[in-house]
Amino acid sequence: MNRKKDKGFESPRPFKLTHQVVCINNINFQRKSVIGFVELTIFPTVVNLNRIKLNSKQCRIYRVRVNELEAPFIYNDPTLEVCHHESKQRNLNYFSSAYTAAVSAVDPDAGHGELVIKVPSELWKQGDDLKVLKVYIEFSLDQPKGGLHFVVPDVEGSMAERGAHVFSFGYQNSTRFWFPCVDSYSELCTWKLEFTVDASMVAVSCGDLVETIYTHDMRKKTFHYVLPIPTAAPNISLAVGPFEILVDPYMHEVTHFCLPQLLPLLKHSMSYLHEIFEFYEEILTCRYPYACFKTVFVDEAYVQVSSYASMSIFSTNLLHSAMIIDQTPLTRRCLAQALAQQFFGCFISRMSWADEWVLKGISGYIYGLYLKKTFGVNEYRHWIKEELDKIVEYELKMGGVLLHPTFSGGKEKDNPTPHLHFSIKHPHTLSWEYYKMFQCKAHLVMRLIENRISMEFMLQVFNKLLSLASTASSQKYQSHMWSQMLLSTHAFLKSISNVSGKDIGPLIKQWVDQSAVVKFFGSFAFNRKRNVLELEIRQDYTSSGTQKYVGPIKVTVQELDGSFNHTLQIEENSLKHDIPCHSKSRRNKKKKIPLMNGEEVDMDLSAMDADSPLLWIRIDPDMSILRKVEFEQADFMWQYQLRYERDVVAQEESISALEKFPTAASRLALTDILEQEQCFYKVRMQACFCLAKIANAMVSTWQGPPAMKSLFTRMFCCKSCPNIVKTNHFLSFQSYFLQKTMPVAMALLRDVQNLCPKDVLNFILDLIKYNDNRKNKFSDNYYRAELIEALTNSLTPAISITNEVRTVDNLNADVRLILEEITRFLNMEKLLPSFRNTITVSCLSAIRQLQKNGHIPSDASLFKSYAKYGHFVDVRVAALEALVDYTRVERSSVDLQWLLEMAQNDPAHYVRHKILGMLCKNPPFTKTTDPAPPFTKTTDSALCNEALVDQLWKLMNSGTSHDWRLRCDAVNLYYALFGLTRPSCLPLPELGLVLNLKEKKAVLNPTIKPELGVGPVMDTPASIGIHGVGMSYSAVDEEPDPISLGVCGVGQPPLSLKRKAETPLGSPPEPGQILQQQEDDARGGRFKIRFNTMEDEDIDMETVHDSQAFIHHHLNLLERPSTPGKEPPSVEQSMLSMPATPVPSFPKETTPLSSKHGGEHGHHHHHHHHEHKKKKKKHKHKHKHKHKHESKDKEKDRERDNSQAYSNSPASGRSLRSPSLSD
Amino acid sequence: PASYALANGHGGKAATSPAENYHLARRRTLQVVVSALLTECGFDSAEKAAVETLTEMMQSYITEIGRCAKAYCEHTARSIPTLSDAVVTLIEMGFKADTLPLYAKRSQRMVITAPPVTNPPVTPKALSAGQKRTHPAHIPCHFPEFPDPHTYIKTPTFREPVSDYQVVREKAASQRRDVERALTRFMAKTGETESLFKDDITAFPLIAAQPSTIPYLSALLPSELELQTLEETDSSEQDDQTDGENAVGNMISDDPGADKENAMLPLSAVVPAAKASEDNVIDNPYLRPVKKPKVRRKK
Repeated sequence: MNRKKDKGFESPRPFKLTHQVVCINNINFQRKSVIGFVELTIFPTVVNLNRIKLNSKQCRIYRVRVNELEAPFIYNDPTLEVCHHESKQRNLNYFSSAYTAAVSAVDPDAGHGELVIKVPSELWKQGDDLKVLKVYIEFSLDQPKGGLHFVVPDVEGSMAERGAHVFSFGYQNSTRFWFPCVDSYSELCTWKLEFTVDASMVAVSCGDLVETIYTHDMRKKTFHYVLPIPTAAPNISLAVGPFEILVDPYMHEVTHFCLPQLLPLLKHSMSYLHEIFEFYEEILTCRYPYACFKTVFVDEAYVQVSSYASMSIFSTNLLHSAMIIDQTPLTRRCLAQALAQQFFGCFISRMSWADEWVLKGISGYIYGLYLKKTFGVNEYRHWIKEELDKIVEYELKMGGVLLHPTFSGGKEKDNPTPHLHFSIKHPHTLSWEYYKMFQCKAHLVMRLIENRISMEFMLQVFNKLLSLASTASSQKYQSHMWSQMLLSTHAFLKSISNVSGKDIGPLIKQWVDQSAVVKFFGSFAFNRKRNVLELEIRQDYTSSGTQKYVGPIKVTVQELDGSFNHTLQIEENSLKHDIPCHSKSRRNKKKKIPLMNGEEVDMDLSAMDADSPLLWIRIDPDMSILRKVEFEQADFMWQYQLRYERDVVAQEESISALEKFPTAASRLALTDILEQEQCFYKVRMQACFCLAKIANAMVSTWQGPPAMKSLFTRMFCCKSCPNIVKTNHFLSFQSYFLQKTMPVAMALLRDVQNLCPKDVLNFILDLIKYNDNRKNKFSDNYYRAELIEALTNSLTPAISITNEVRTVDNLNADVRLILEEITRFLNMEKLLPSFRNTITVSCLSAIRQLQKNGHIPSDASLFKSYAKYGHFVDVRVAALEALVDYTRVERSSVDLQWLLEMAQNDPAHYVRHKILGMLCKNPPFTKTTDPAPPFTKTTDSALCNEALVDQLWKLMNSGTSHDWRLRCDAVNLYYALFGLTRPSCLPLPELGLVLNLKEKKAVLNPTIKPELGVGPVMDTPASIGIHGVGMSYSAVDEEPDPISLGVCGVGQPPLSLKRKAETPLGSPPEPGQILQQQEDDARGGRFKIRFNTMEDEDIDMETVHDSQAFIHHHLNLLERPSTPGKEPPSVEQSMLSMPATPVPSFPKETTPLSSKHGGEHGHHHHHHHHEHKKKKKKHKHKHKHKHKHESKDKEKDRERDNSQAYSNSPASGRSLRSPSLSD
Repeated sequence: PASYALANGHGGKAATSPAENYHLARRRTLQVVVSALLTECGFDSAEKAAVETLTEMMQSYITEIGRCAKAYCEHTARSIPTLSDAVVTLIEMGFKADTLPLYAKRSQRMVITAPPVTNPPVTPKALSAGQKRTHPAHIPCHFPEFPDPHTYIKTPTFREPVSDYQVVREKAASQRRDVERALTRFMAKTGETESLFKDDITAFPLIAAQPSTIPYLSALLPSELELQTLEETDSSEQDDQTDGENAVGNMISDDPGADKENAMLPLSAVVPAAKASEDNVIDNPYLRPVKKPKVRRKK
């Protein structure tokens, strides 16, 4: 494809960084401030290097010196405020493009940066000898909001006694938040790191600790680290605190650090790390690349695991004692993930953002191998299925996930993912959820490659990459060699082809260069005469997130005579496949039936169709396509598959399928599986829930005691008194997990009145009553938490008399019992807290359910008190989840404000991220484009008002500039609430045509509506979007008709079937084509509406708005910089006098204005550029200049604001800088 | 004289104690006895000093008899002297014991009234339980009586423990629940609470959530109760294991079931002894001593 074919790495910078010193002299925990300096050693690669662009955010820079000479510098960060000044536009399309432009403007991968240093002329006038430059920067950080996180508990004592600590964090390349650097994964250099900290503290950082020296007053000490392996700045980290130190007893070069008092937990939790080390070193046949490894466990961690060169920072909540069962595998997984990323991600870094998938893929893949080895093949296959289901679900819902986006320089208009409300061009513009799915898909694709070339070759490739990198890393100062440590998609594929000799091009094209998954529908018929299985496999490749698959597919058919694999070719037009059967349908009763794994079993064949030899059929059993399969086969076939197929994936698939067959036979099959101890425990757990569903569907014909009750009694209760559960011992973990799950599933049972059967409730209450953990060496906190969840599941809505106030007196007797238990549990937790406060977490969600079902008065105050800072993070998240739900159900604007307030100000970044994430998942109201019932629309909710729009806009525009993840969360929330276009709750912009519109609304209602609904849709696909806009301005709330649901961006139609159908199917959209089309659509749409309404006014607000802005822009042209979002096409670029730096390729977001006025912009810019040449010196006054405008804006009315919004977009920063430094 | 001195010293030491009265009374009685004997022998009067001396002699004689009889008694491993002990003592002291009955029945003897006993140190009789047992046939009746029955009679005061499993579990469960409920109610009553109901804030009181400064500590560290349980189960399990091993011997070298479980989730890895001994010589940069600043570093 468009992948870079050239082998070497081309730096976007006119210099090469070889070494960097970071020295932090002082860390003040009281004031939360940091002072230090950096010194970068760089080799210019051009003759006259006159400016150096570096990355730096939120640092206060005191002085910059280049080779001992004071150097002038400019510090400008356009991402601080994405859209300058008050913009009344408020649409997400606009914001997204502006944000992408702002991020691009400082993107180190394009050679840009926030900090531009002018090299003193003495140095570059010297001539053509390319001398080493040393760039020395003094900086400080005061109360950093991002990059470094201070945890300072508010108690008595010294900082060390209080357990105060600080650590670096960030999403992707975020090192610029805490020291100036080239914040790119592709700029490697060696490091010297010095940290002076209080004598009671330890500073843990990357590389080898060379020495620790006291300061002269002996009150502080300096930690000297040296990192001789070339490393990218984003892989540098720091953690300082009064850590307890544990040297790994197996590997003395590995050191673990935890907060005071947690050492026993650390010892236990780290006792198996060496096994993971051994595993990776063995499969990769490569030593761990760094001389040492450090693990640091910190409180209020940003993510659970983050890996940096030779160290990893973990959440302290991963530590656990030997009594905890459930956390053990989770912690181990986290450690394995961290270690995998040490090899691929830290040691081997990526060449560009587009190559991220390779590193995430490889580290995820070898992590999977570890899972397979440690937890077994069943667990591994279960995990793969889980991951596959996740990515399929996400892509079908949100549209495709593209692993390797190509942004060809010339065609800026090419947006590879038009279905997303954010740009995938930068990691910092990605939604967190998308990035998680991206990682998931990456490792699944690696597994597909493994399927294709074998694991042996795969590991050889990894080994080759690692040995190349380690050879390169040992080279001193030959910086061109270091690029071998950068991995690109191209190099990876080449290595695969060299090692395996196989062409995996089609696979890469399908899954890496293209987004989306495959959706199969399968059904079959057995032709008795020909003894042939006629299989029909259809595909849906028109819906969002789907693509067409052409190629081989494996089908496994279990017949009476054995199991047979068939490889079918999925081709363009063939839907039907004839598969010859091996067995005759006459069955030999005595004979055992051979299975796939060679096992031979007796089966009761009475259930099957007498004419057919088929027991079951599986499509793509190895999951070698990223797909969703909906396969139709008879219920008895699913039952056979569940009982006899040994693959856990097949068993899980059949369990989900059996939900649709509530029969006695299904019940029996599930019960048998539940009882079978050899069966994988997660399958059995899934069977519990399926059984509950089946029992509910069969409620009128169900015989015997409630489902699972007698089973549970037999397995876990005393022989002599079946109503009493045995005292806990949890020696068999499989049984333990089953014991936890069964009550939860049982509580979902419902009787004919749709209530939880009295039997079941009493049973669960007895389980709680007789629970006895005194003789158990494991904690039962998770088990008790599940029992509370079971109580929660048993709740059904209260029979309510309308508007009745819930009081203690009218409390239902059963609910009273439940509430007693919950109260007691919650109170006991205060006296004897459980591990990770699991019980409080369950109780909070139980209380919310009681409220929601109308048993107790709905009230948010309890949750608010638990959500406060100072509670354990799990408890806070549980309380916040309840609050988010409360806010939605009660439509409480006070509580929404409370949540947003916390999302902005809470000290814990994770909690802030979580709040916005939960609000997105469970939004207080939804945008009108959602296919929801008409009455849940945006406009119906009182919450949706102008103030909220302003608040959220502010949050994503400037309130979250210190945390890229949080900003993207805010964007997601905005999208979830308002969609891509201007929120409909906003008042109409005060333009002339508003009045007309209002008039029109009255006219519109009865007569024109049907016309609008039918007419234009026929003609232009995009008109749905146009209508949306038109309608939304005319106060949609009074007309909840289906048409108004279609609000969408102008010229940015939703990925409707119609439009999809027009593009060539299955092939990647031609770059530029979409835009062209959209442009046409947009124009067509606009035209259409004008035509339809038969009036002169243009209801397309954006267009009007834009043209207004456009005029204004022309007027302001001489004063104002242009916007990067409207960067001229490449032809124009070549005319700029900036030869040293490649001009960033800004994506042309598909807003109509940008496409429409593209040409003119080029003109502006050009013009503008000349303008700047004349007034070079003016730039120092830039800030004043801006202020003036701002104050002016405040005075002026909205109309003016509107028009300015356009001209003041993100990029003032960029244009400010570029001309000033060009000569 | 020695015993006199002893007695005297003893009395002197206990001068303020209630026993002093007793000693004085005893001595007065002895004086009366000496005086009576003198009268019997025909003396009309005696000097005080002579009476004192005689009293002293009498006392030491009696004391010696007592001491000696005690010694004989203890020599035969008894605690209370018997008649025969006294007889042997008298003989030992050169007294013709067989003359004693005659002397006791002499006609001219004077009868002395019993000394008024003031506050004899009475040990209050402990609770009497049951009938005092009489001596069995083989024990002479002059032997000391049995002590009070309560000192040796065993009366079971507990009921037969309920061995019915169901009842035991039931009791344990309800007892624990009652304790928990009482405790939480108490805590709720004495501290701040939150309520689920607006109309009756005392129903289902919830102890108010108090933010803590370092919340992860209580959430991650096992409570003391749990640790205690762990210790108990650990030791008991170890016992079980060693017992089991001893019983089975080395016949079963590996248990496949246990292995499987360990492979799935080895929860506790044991550091091999060899490794542990190496720990002493670990060279880890974080364990090295912090260096003193070099002078030349000063600017």
